[in-house]
Amino acid sequence: MVVFHFIIVGLLLVILQTTICMPTPVWLPAPDFYYILVSYLAFRLDLLRGLIILFPLVCALDAVSGTILGMYALLCFSGFVLLRQLSAKLPVNEILYQILMAGVSYLIVSWGVYLFLELLQPGQQVSWSWWKMIARAVLVTVCSYPLFFLFDVIQKYSHHSFLHWNRLRLRSDNRRRRQA
Amino acid sequence: MRKKPTRKRSDRYRLFRIVLLAGLLMTLALIFLVSTLGSQSFGPLHKLVLEAVGPLQKVVTMGGSYVETFKSEYIDILQDSLRLREENKRLIQQLQENENILNKSREAMATNASLRRLLEFKNTLDQQQVVATTIVGKDPSTMFRSVIIDRGSNSGVMKGNPVVNNDGVVGQVFIVTPNYAKVLLAIAPSSAIDVLLQKSRVRGILKGDGTLTYRLEYILKTAEVEEGDHVVTAGYGGVFPTGLQVGVVAKIIKKPRGMFHEIEVTPSVDYQKLENLLILQQPKLGEIKQMEQR
Repeated sequence: MVVFHFIIVGLLLVILQTTICMPTPVWLPAPDFYYILVSYLAFRLDLLRGLIILFPLVCALDAVSGTILGMYALLCFSGFVLLRQLSAKLPVNEILYQILMAGVSYLIVSWGVYLFLELLQPGQQVSWSWWKMIARAVLVTVCSYPLFFLFDVIQKYSHHSFLHWNRLRLRSDNRRRRQA
Repeated sequence: MRKKPTRKRSDRYRLFRIVLLAGLLMTLALIFLVSTLGSQSFGPLHKLVLEAVGPLQKVVTMGGSYVETFKSEYIDILQDSLRLREENKRLIQQLQENENILNKSREAMATNASLRRLLEFKNTLDQQQVVATTIVGKDPSTMFRSVIIDRGSNSGVMKGNPVVNNDGVVGQVFIVTPNYAKVLLAIAPSSAIDVLLQKSRVRGILKGDGTLTYRLEYILKTAEVEEGDHVVTAGYGGVFPTGLQVGVVAKIIKKPRGMFHEIEVTPSVDYQKLENLLILQQPKLGEIKQMEQR
């Protein structure tokens, strides 16, 4: 259920980001919600479930954004791996450090992807601007805090599923008799 | 035994006094009545009574009016405040409803005006098949500039179809699904459009740089270019029709080296207000694609 819920949440965040958060095509202060989800998955979920959730997310992102297919896959998986490695190596795993790492890793991964794309298809993307990207990274950091709490709530309620399978288990009506 | 005659005498004396007093009073009352009725004058006694009663009346009247004022100012207000609160709630709700209606009305008017301009523009395109569409999503990436529209191959949209609005060229369709399509905006760095300087008929390539300006490339330094010159589509290659408005030359950077001018063009389209668009269907586009594949 956790996987299913986070896939739905991821798709909703992508829709939110491409509609309400983008009033114009050149709007700068649009927070990259998808990357916050990537960070959360890297920090709080295991590798397998994180990757399962990431696949539909990057697919949706590549469908609605960008002109080079696979760019979001590169960005999200790189960020996911980088953050997992960082969280495993760092001794502190407090939320404040995690959201800071999310912002910094967003900047690093975006720069790496930009350089890679420039190498493959030079001049096909908007020129790199440090101040714009730092502003986006700050937005990611700021939005991470409330969204991490939201994701925690979702994860908590996902464990308390509406449908308890053990309730559906068939039981014979003469258990006491059998015990006797 | 001695006390009895004394009590009897005093009782008689008291009775006598009462009768005498009553007689005197009745006599006075009779005299007063006769004199009053007879003369009909407002005598000193009346005046005295009036002078004595007047202040009392005044105090009572003032007290009454004070009580009335107190009631109207405080007690009635308390009663009214409850009624007013309900009234206020109702009016606020009504106001909100009216504001909603007004907003909807304004939105409808703005959409109407936008669509009217688009329709007028459509009528200027001679026998050109067009499909009206609306933007449903925008690219959130900082590296690319594209939008998603709500028309796809089911509406006859093909890859490469030019997208315009009443102000001019917006971009080009580059991904098509049955019901949706992705449009590469002309401000995207990967966009390139064949254009002409309308006045001098000099040809160049218009490219985007991700901001709200275009770059006009491959204009020779020998060519006559002025700020304010209109840039229109050249129509070469059969993708864009000839003469569609693209922008206005904003800045010419003359460098001592190189063969070409560096020209900045201000788009005729306001990319901050993109909403309704027209897709120009090119009947020859399929043939062009087939020829390209060969």
